[in-house]
Amino acid sequence: MISYLFRRLLFALFLVFTVSSASLLIVELAPGDYVTGSLGLQATPAEVAALRARYGLDRPLATQYFDWLSRAARFDFGQSLANGRPVAELISAAAVNTAMLAVTALLLATLVGLPLGVFSGTHRGGVLTATIRASSVFLLSMPPLLTSLFLVFLAARTGWFPIGGMNAIGGGFVDRLHHMVVPVLALALPLSALFERLQAQATSEVVTQPFVLATFARGVPRSRVIWRDALKVALKPIASIYGLVVGTLLSGSFAVEVITTWPGLGSLMLNALRARDVYLVAGCAAAGSIFLAAGTLASDVALAYVDPRARE
Amino acid sequence: MRGLAALLAAAAVAACGGSPAPPANGGAAPPARGGQVIASVRTEPQSFSWYTQHDGTTDLVTFLTQARLVRVDRTTGEVEAWLAESWTRSNDGLKYTIKLRPNVTFADGHPFTADDVVFSFAAAYAPNGGGPVMGGDMMVGGKPLVVTATDPATVVITFPLPFAPGLRLLDNLPMLPKHRLEAALKAGTFANAWGLSTPVSEITGLGPYVLTEYLPGQRMIFSRNDRYFRKDADGTALPHLDRVIVEIVPDQNGQLLRMETVQTDMMSSEARPEDYASLKRAADAGRLQLLDLGGALDPDSFWINLKPGAFAGDPRASWLQSEELRKAISLGVNRKTFADTVYLGAGVPVWGPITPANKKWYSPDLPQTPHDPAQARRLLASAGLTDRNGDGMLEDSSGRPARFTITTQKGQTAVERGAQVIRDELKAIGLAVDIAALEGNTAVRSFMTGTYEAGYFHVGMTDTDPGLQLEYWLSGGGFHIWDLGQKAAATPWEKEIDGLMAKQTATFDEAERKKIFDDVQKIFAEHLPVINFAAPRIFVPASSRVTGLKPAVLRPQLLWSPDTLAVRQ
Repeated sequence: MISYLFRRLLFALFLVFTVSSASLLIVELAPGDYVTGSLGLQATPAEVAALRARYGLDRPLATQYFDWLSRAARFDFGQSLANGRPVAELISAAAVNTAMLAVTALLLATLVGLPLGVFSGTHRGGVLTATIRASSVFLLSMPPLLTSLFLVFLAARTGWFPIGGMNAIGGGFVDRLHHMVVPVLALALPLSALFERLQAQATSEVVTQPFVLATFARGVPRSRVIWRDALKVALKPIASIYGLVVGTLLSGSFAVEVITTWPGLGSLMLNALRARDVYLVAGCAAAGSIFLAAGTLASDVALAYVDPRARE
Repeated sequence: MRGLAALLAAAAVAACGGSPAPPANGGAAPPARGGQVIASVRTEPQSFSWYTQHDGTTDLVTFLTQARLVRVDRTTGEVEAWLAESWTRSNDGLKYTIKLRPNVTFADGHPFTADDVVFSFAAAYAPNGGGPVMGGDMMVGGKPLVVTATDPATVVITFPLPFAPGLRLLDNLPMLPKHRLEAALKAGTFANAWGLSTPVSEITGLGPYVLTEYLPGQRMIFSRNDRYFRKDADGTALPHLDRVIVEIVPDQNGQLLRMETVQTDMMSSEARPEDYASLKRAADAGRLQLLDLGGALDPDSFWINLKPGAFAGDPRASWLQSEELRKAISLGVNRKTFADTVYLGAGVPVWGPITPANKKWYSPDLPQTPHDPAQARRLLASAGLTDRNGDGMLEDSSGRPARFTITTQKGQTAVERGAQVIRDELKAIGLAVDIAALEGNTAVRSFMTGTYEAGYFHVGMTDTDPGLQLEYWLSGGGFHIWDLGQKAAATPWEKEIDGLMAKQTATFDEAERKKIFDDVQKIFAEHLPVINFAAPRIFVPASSRVTGLKPAVLRPQLLWSPDTLAVRQ
């Protein structure tokens, strides 16, 4: 198990290094840079050259890359070109905001998706099961962008929830929760639909297995069999993707965060890409890949725990 | 050079003696004191210093927190005395002696003196200060202005050569507090001195508001500067509002939705043509006021890469850079259709870069090319392009199709629509056009390096006075988009324009300046290095409760004059 963990950890480090390096190099190699975007067409070549020198963008690509790499190894991701603030500071602030959404959305999706999945997996036929299934398929087929837009539109028209931002001026904890409703729903609805579908499929398979049928035959109450015995086994598919979902959520959602004006990692990355803020892009990519790697690692560990064959 | 709505009357600038600061509300009933206005922007500021970043949100922050010696009133084009109380110009037109307004203090209580003026100019030109970003803006004939303080309330500004726009140039230069920034300039850290990580308490200015809170990715809060120097016509201290809150809303649809539902009072820029209908409904319902500011000052521009050698080895070179092609394109595009399609009916056809909105410098006598596809085809035939295989499209003498690519900016809906209309209209005269819609700074990079065939882009005219647009008009200008980086004028007509613009900026006779600039526009229209098809009408929404607005065409249309804003209580 330890050597398995060590291998997965090495892979996680490789993933973080590759993703952040690749994002930095791609942004550097693409035509145009922060200075051309910032100064625009009106700038004279002398102004462009002076500003490039100020930001160190006039150095050879290899020098810029190795300089960044040596600093990144010491957890110094440099300064954002666009606003002069340390990348680590920007990322940590945004990551906290993203985590707030991610954890809440995950909890909600789990609390809604799993029970519904168990219900629809054990109740074939009926209006309620059909409604749950249709809703899940509908939510799964909706891109997050559309879900976010719809919810923002609904919030604007009804006035029930704020349509964007993280809190009102001087707002406290309750105000924060109020602002979280739209982005959390935008993230949680498709996720709960995914959990429902996976859980329904797994549960419907498990309840036909001999050990479950035998338990039913012994007269154990149906609900007890399903929620105690069958559920343990049926959780395996979700357990295997749960870590990945956590990692993806923590990496930030471009669509949801931008539409709902939530200042998280997704928004930060998008703004950095737009501005060609190369060090911030690399930092965001590194943070995203760290979350993803951690999620994957957690998934792998969970899977290895329940199924030792996965350690091979 | 940066654009401020320098509309009319450089004469007023040059007049010997300034005018007193105008009343802020034009003598109307005094607005209520207090309250707040919420505005939205799409991007974070890149800095809190206009000296180091020239993005739109930094510009907005500057309007709210800083003040200049003189201000161009964007609604009239007049130059107003602002921190300067009055001025005189020497007979040779080179020297301006400026008397500063007395008893003006920065928001932190430190007095504003001539030393701050001298320091501001020094910071603007310093290579480790504002030099790379705004040094060029403040040059005349490639040389800096010389500024000296003769006493604490008087400065003398000497221009290197007679320059007709004169003090209008200073509208671009907010006055900095020497006591706060001198050490940073000396230490070479000026560029980061007012960065986004600077505590807001360290930032001070002479403007109507003070930045009191900045939440990255969320909002900036500006509170009333109780030491602001301006008073209303009835002597009431300005500004009227207690706070201006600027929310950062990256998504334009989200910005619109907040406006429609009056969760914000205004936006920092105009509405998109496609948003007009929904805003009009909100206006009809009484929630908003939708202000029609008329035509834009800067139409989107189409041009062919005219850099000599840009198409070396390309068999299309003979016709791609020909004048016949440009004239045919101008004839081939129906400007009325263009305006209706691109700006959804809210646009006006134009025939040059100076639009009718620029009342002072627009030349109504310029020829207005009609839509004439037959004549366009004849011109293309004279350039060697005819339909040789009967498919309706043109080919050159070797049978190669007449085809080129327009580079444009992705994500700007009106610009993208414009490129599509040009493609469709040119197809009707036999020219095949491909569109390469690139992300903003990739497109800019292509234009700067000359690696493109044709461009369609929003080329912002940064000042209405042509004397402050020399980078565009002069052959050696950094904004001479169709052929950047010329060492000497590449064509006789560009050389002629160079000579005329030199005369135009050197004379103080406004009638003469107008006449010369009419000639420049005429030459421009004859050779069409840039083709303009239409300019959008500018609509700006504001919530019904906001008063004291002084809407202007240039951005930020409503917040360029924030001290007069008020809200109905």
